Formats: sequence, C-alpha cells, structure tokens
Amino acid sequence: MSAAAAVERPALGRDLRGLLAELLRLEHVIGGLVVAPDGLVIAADLPSEIDADPLSALAATLGRELELRGPQLRRGTFPMAQFASVSGSAFLGSTPVGFIVLLGEPRADSEIIRTALRRAVGTVFRAWAG
Amino acid sequence: MVFRRIWHRISGRRRRPTSAQMFRRAQHLRDTGRFEAAARLVEEALLRDPRSVVGHLLAAALHMVLRETGEARTSFERVLALEPTQPRALLGLARIAIEEGDAATCRQMLTRALARYPDFPEARALLEVARGLTPAPDSTRAASTNGAVAAARVRLPAESREALFMRADATVIFAEPRGPRTDAVAARAAKLARVATAMLGRAGLGPLRHAIIEGAAETTYLRGDDAALLTLAFDHDVKSAIALEHLEQVWGRCRLELA
Repeated sequence: MSAAAAVERPALGRDLRGLLAELLRLEHVIGGLVVAPDGLVIAADLPSEIDADPLSALAATLGRELELRGPQLRRGTFPMAQFASVSGSAFLGSTPVGFIVLLGEPRADSEIIRTALRRAVGTVFRAWAG
Repeated sequence: MVFRRIWHRISGRRRRPTSAQMFRRAQHLRDTGRFEAAARLVEEALLRDPRSVVGHLLAAALHMVLRETGEARTSFERVLALEPTQPRALLGLARIAIEEGDAATCRQMLTRALARYPDFPEARALLEVARGLTPAPDSTRAASTNGAVAAARVRLPAESREALFMRADATVIFAEPRGPRTDAVAARAAKLARVATAMLGRAGLGPLRHAIIEGAAETTYLRGDDAALLTLAFDHDVKSAIALEHLEQVWGRCRLELA
C-alpha cells in the first residue's frame, strides 16, 4: 500500500459504518445503528420491519440518561449497557461521537457482544478524542 | 473570454466565503470529527448571518455532540424564534427537557411538533415515553413502608454495594444505603427503565426484563416489570452470571415483599 493510500484510508474508529459492519458479524446480532447525541442516524443496518428514526431518537435519549446517571459519569467517561427482554437484547455503548446500538437474539452470547462493543467503543474513543 | 476567466479566478480568490459555504465547511469539519473547529466556524458564520436556521441547528447539533446542553438549548431556542414550528428544534428541546426530568415541557414541545408535522416518528416515540413519566413521587408514600425491615427480609447479597427497590412510579420501598440523593436516583432509574422499554419495543423485542449497566465505578444490575424495579450495584470484578443470579433471587423476595 502506498503512503498516500494509507493516509486516505480512514482510521478504523472513524469509519463508523465499517465498525458497525464488523459488529454485525457477531453471531445472533440481528441489527444495529450508530446515532449522534442529537438523535440523527449516522449509520444503520436494521431488519426491514424496524424503523430507524424512532429507534435512534430513543437510543440517543437512553444514551444520554446513561451518561448522566451518576456524578462519576462526566464527559470523557463512556458507559455501556445491555437491556434484555424475553425476546432479545439491545446493547448500547456511548462514544464521543454518539451511541452504538446492537440488537441481539435471546440466544446471543451477551458476554461476547459486550466485550466486542467495549472494544469498539474504545476504538472510536481513541480515533475521535485525539 | 480568456481574460474574463482569469478575472473570475482572481476575484473568486479574493471573495470572502458566503455563510452558506461556511456552514457546509463546518458540516464537513463535524463529519471528520473536528467538532471544536466546526463550532468556531459556525459561530463566525452566524455573526454574518444571524438569521440562519440551518446555522443555529448546526450549532445546536455540535453543542449536543460536545455535551454542552445549555448552549444547545440556546441554539434551539434561536431557531424557534426564527421558525416557531421547526421540528428538529422542538425535538431537540424536548430531548433536553426529558434529560432534565421536565416531562411536562417535553410533552409540550413534542405536541407542538406533532401538531404541525403529524408524521414525525421520532417525536411520536419520545412522546410515548414522556406521557408515562410521572411527577416526582410523594415521599410520604415511601415513609409508609418500613424500609430497613424490608431490606433485611430480602437478604441482600454481601457483594452488593448498593440496592434500591421501588415502585414503577419511582416511589422508594427500600434503599441500602439510603441518602439524600436516593429519591433522585430512583427517579432516574425509573426513567431509564421506561426509555429502555420503549426502545426495546421499537426494536420489536418486548418489555424490559433486566439490564446490566457498566459505569465508571461499578456495574448496576436492574430487574423490573410493570409494577416495580430493583437495582443492585456490584464491583466490576463480580461476574455477570453471579450478579444476575443474586438479582433474580433478591427480585423474587422483593416481589413477595411488595405483594
């Protein structure tokens, strides 16, 4: 690869669509999206029956609630959460540019997804916070 | 012809960028993660074009990214001063209101937006949440339960750092330890559960059963249903499987206590 090509290639954490695509390869993850703190969708790959706009508005609201939960969670501290129902789970990770949401089936391995999401959040944080 | 082209090129170089060009450039800066630079450029462009709705909306979005809620509110309000039913500004103010626990203002903003734009799915989704948010619970209700006795009966695990059991309307049944912020923490937990339930519903997954929330200092485990909510906080080194087992056991005893 030439130096110019290397410079042009976006760092992994900045390519949010690419990052989401990587996360969607996890087993039993059925969809996901990246949403800005103002609720606008940055990237989404969801099953056709799920409307991205209302989901993104709620994800951004939930993400902010998580950030504001305690005095220890200020800017620069980025929490992560899993919300489970009997039909599956939503995983949410907070980053400087917004929130990453993954939807998993009930049989999805929560530990594996949380670990992958934690790594992705770290990658975004390193790429965007500099 | 050639002369005219050269003249255009020279005069073009000298011409100041228009505010529209500056907003486009700011958008590009935002997209490449240079939020502070984008915000500065928007501020500069707004000095030239203070009546730009696009500019104020962009400023609000940048403030939201930078988690500057007060400044974002000011920008959204400026948009509404120029365009009273601008849907993004109404939604933005509604989101700030819900963040601050002001459900009434949130509902008012969303109702205004939906009156003008009935097909606004984000506003509709948020309004469903805001409608279910009750005012701060009456603390006399909490006092009617002997919290200390209840906490002893549900046998909290030794590893648990904090425990909070409440009704769905955030009325605290018991808290361990109980402090001056307990009611506020309960209200936030109830709101969090409500937004999470709405999000799960929109994702086709049904109501919230439990949540695992990783914070800076500890991990909080939440269990809930239509009537009540339990949260237990553990150190990060407690394994999820063990914490979830504790959560289920305590939840079972809490529900008996409530019954």
